[in-house]
Amino acid sequence: MLAASIFAIALLAGASPAPSRGFVEIAGGTFQSTVRYDGDDGKRSVAAFAIATHAVTVREFDEFVRTYPQWARDRVPSLLADSGYLANWSHANPDAPATHVSWFAADAYCKSIGMRLPDWDEWEYVAAADATRGDARGDNTWLRRTFEDGTPRAMDARSGASANIHGVSGMHGATWEWVGDYATLMGDADKRGAENGDRLQFCGATGLSFANRDDYATLKRVALLSAMEPRSTLGNLGFRCARSTP
Amino acid sequence: MKLLLRSLFAIAVSLVASTSAIAAPPALPGDSVYQVEASVVDQDGRAYAWQALRGRPRVVTMFYAHCHLMCPLIIASGKSLQGSLDPRQREELGFVSMTLDPARDTPAALLEVAQMHRLDDHWRLLRPGDADVRTLAAALGIRYRAQPDGTFNHTSVLILLDRDGRIVARSEVTDLTPDPRFVATVREYLAGASASGSN
Repeated sequence: MLAASIFAIALLAGASPAPSRGFVEIAGGTFQSTVRYDGDDGKRSVAAFAIATHAVTVREFDEFVRTYPQWARDRVPSLLADSGYLANWSHANPDAPATHVSWFAADAYCKSIGMRLPDWDEWEYVAAADATRGDARGDNTWLRRTFEDGTPRAMDARSGASANIHGVSGMHGATWEWVGDYATLMGDADKRGAENGDRLQFCGATGLSFANRDDYATLKRVALLSAMEPRSTLGNLGFRCARSTP
Repeated sequence: MKLLLRSLFAIAVSLVASTSAIAAPPALPGDSVYQVEASVVDQDGRAYAWQALRGRPRVVTMFYAHCHLMCPLIIASGKSLQGSLDPRQREELGFVSMTLDPARDTPAALLEVAQMHRLDDHWRLLRPGDADVRTLAAALGIRYRAQPDGTFNHTSVLILLDRDGRIVARSEVTDLTPDPRFVATVREYLAGASASGSN
């Protein structure tokens, strides 16, 4: 309770606009990622962190734009957002997740409240849970329902959908979400296979594969994110913020 | 005496204010990488805004000091490019190498790199703020990933920026010497840029 109020005060003192909704602490741990890089077994350890219980809403993002007008649709520089940026703004539901937001804008929003975007591993770790299990991915029925992620039929898009066991909502909703290190989900495999091409292009080996072909929803999500430029926007791509636990 | 100093100070302040008003730079182009708000510290411990690098053509790269394979190549490649310029162009072109590893690459560590590679005053080795590394890499189209063993996978490129931070050309580093086409582009750019005056 004390920690929670200190956190709330820190948020208020830190910067405006303060998020109107909460964050939950996620204990660190190891987990099996569906995403594998060359020569790794997919085991990841995630340090303790806090993540927003909800995606940033249109209302919240609107407050941000009022405070930082350089992020208004008619002022944002082309480096930081494409022409679709906030394209739906005038008729968006204020309580819906903010979409048509570039990675740069999402990054700036989270920094403005003293936070950051979650890393992919953090996001995947929290998204593995359902309402009763920390890792529901072994349940094929549940897994199959995640195929609808990013569509209006997504399981967390239903009205009355419950939060997962961490208290986090909307991880499998109608919108996809940016992650801070989305650019590291390198889809750029062209050079691989060429003799030593990867060693020359990158410091060390890379190469992305999937541990579990059944986890099609994750594959689709990674494919989508890795195809994005940081200035790209989509009508069903939003974000939430996170922060490291000190 | 105190009063005199104070009024001198006031005059100086108003002079600075008026000259900076006259010399206010034109609006930054929308596609300039200096549109990113970020702070950096250089190898001499000086802190400034990323945007302060505007005003001079620069070749920008990202690297990290603990990298033993690729990063010495990136710096060697930049030095080789610098060596291929005529003296006037060498005065004109700045080099910026930013670390991907701000936790370990302190200004002192960056100074060590600068000394080890005998980099001249045209080189700035920068440590961005922790939260700014990703943003700057994104603006420059550089992808990287921290590995569990403390190394980084990253794209190794030399990027030529014009005075206003627009990307003119980029070249992947694959060798101790840069791609000759990139060298030619840089030289042509510098020749053209000085021919067209301050722009």
